Amino acid sequence: MVPYFEFHNAVKLLCGELALERIAIELENLGCEKPLMLSDAVLTKIGTLSTVIKAMESEGLEPAAVYSDIPVDSSLAVVNRIAVFYREQGCDSIVAVGGGSVIDTAKGVRLVLSQNKQDILSLSGLDNLVRGRHIPFVVVPTTAGTGSECTGVAVIRNDSNGVKMEFLSPYVEPDIAVIDTRMTQGLPPKATATTGMDALVHAIEACTCQQANPLSSAYGTAAIRMIAENVVAATRNGKDKQARFAMALASTMAGIAFSNSMVGAVHAIGHALGGVCHVPHAVAMTILLPHVMRYNLSHCAEGYARLLPWLVGDEEAMHVPVEKRAQAAIDAVVALARELNAICGIPLTLSEVNVPKDAFAHVAEVAVNDGALIVNPRAADEAQVIEILNAAY
Amino acid sequence: MRAIQSLVVAIVLRVVHAALVELRELDSRVAQEFARMPEGLSYAIRTGHRGPTLFVEWNGQEVLRLRELTNPGCALRIKSMPLAFRLFTGQMGLAQAYARHAFTMGGEVADVMRLARLVNIVEAYLFPKIITRHIMTDVPETEVNFLRAYGRIALGFLTCKYKFSR
Repeated sequence: MVPYFEFHNAVKLLCGELALERIAIELENLGCEKPLMLSDAVLTKIGTLSTVIKAMESEGLEPAAVYSDIPVDSSLAVVNRIAVFYREQGCDSIVAVGGGSVIDTAKGVRLVLSQNKQDILSLSGLDNLVRGRHIPFVVVPTTAGTGSECTGVAVIRNDSNGVKMEFLSPYVEPDIAVIDTRMTQGLPPKATATTGMDALVHAIEACTCQQANPLSSAYGTAAIRMIAENVVAATRNGKDKQARFAMALASTMAGIAFSNSMVGAVHAIGHALGGVCHVPHAVAMTILLPHVMRYNLSHCAEGYARLLPWLVGDEEAMHVPVEKRAQAAIDAVVALARELNAICGIPLTLSEVNVPKDAFAHVAEVAVNDGALIVNPRAADEAQVIEILNAAY
Repeated sequence: MRAIQSLVVAIVLRVVHAALVELRELDSRVAQEFARMPEGLSYAIRTGHRGPTLFVEWNGQEVLRLRELTNPGCALRIKSMPLAFRLFTGQMGLAQAYARHAFTMGGEVADVMRLARLVNIVEAYLFPKIITRHIMTDVPETEVNFLRAYGRIALGFLTCKYKFSR
């Protein structure tokens, strides 16, 4: 067991039926009357944002302003712009409706406002912030993957160098996260599958990285089981409410897990692939997971072996000899990804998402500077990252 | 006890700076890290409450040791003196320190990663493998004999090579 660990999760979760309709009373309890709604163009177009706004309005709370132009791969400049907008509109709280990019952007905006700064760049770091002014902050995730609604980290791209910057502080965590299956029901099968795999990566890396601890592993292993049992059903049938709800909860639990124990090389390389080659985060996670697990195997066999029952069930795991369980865990991950690929065609290789091989050197250079790599079970230099990329090609 | 720990940490911080200066010339990986490092990047390492500090800056040619640094590119603060003592006496690696929430950091995580790689190489020279095996998942190989590194550092101290630049 680790000789020392910290665990923090102060997010109030509103989970299940009619959860959206409770946002108004929660904001009222936080003393807010003028929330700024944050979302993106797609969610506005398909009506997801208006579902949330209508739920709030039905309980007598109208947004003071709406900003719905957050791009897929948001940046520090977007954060700074929205902070100015918030001040101009005289808002008193933030409600973010979206996936990872929207939520992380909202976290950044909240940081800028609570720390009373103009530029978020000055706030990057690790545990280096004081609490600051309290800006009430509600998050409504629309994917079941990022877990960002419960994490103390925001990952935002720096336009000037394309690098994804990390802002790590418990004060990044939202006050309230709303898990309502109406938000994920319309998610297409491919997005359901890849975001589900993203959640699986969070859980597996949280349980096996150097910062893993008993509490984060409790959340992580429970999340792995829920994902293994439900991601295929949710992908096959998006209307399966039970599977959708399980995936949303699993994503949240995986978020709590990795927020308290970090992630690892899958994320370090995935962030770099996103920054350099614009590979969507969840897709990069899906592709890289088995290859990084194989790379880590020599240093993490015990950790992976312990995950087997959570991946395949106790009965099946029991029949696998102890010394073969780590490899069996990797095989289970590969089998799951292949099954999802057969259902909806999620990409399994970097060549499928048009990553040019000549970008590998740049990706590796960025990846070794990513904070997630520091706690990976096995160290990796640029040459080793390129080996992983080649294996994933 | 704190006074002794503080004294040891102060000495090791000086040695770390000296090792960076010397290994930049002896070890190709250290040389490459500095070659890629943005010119003007500075690190402030503070330990505990008013404990020893190390301020260094890469000016593109030399690793300067500074008396003060008001606006460092990367500011690390080890949270307590016992933690700093463990970190700088080979009882805990930088990755382990990160995993155990032993420090806070202001600046870009990428700059901590650069420092972590450099410190790992420095420790591979300064400490025997029996120690480094316990504090790193993978210990970097030394490119030259550690005695050569120690010799150059000792000579550097004798000739006052590592004095404050400003």
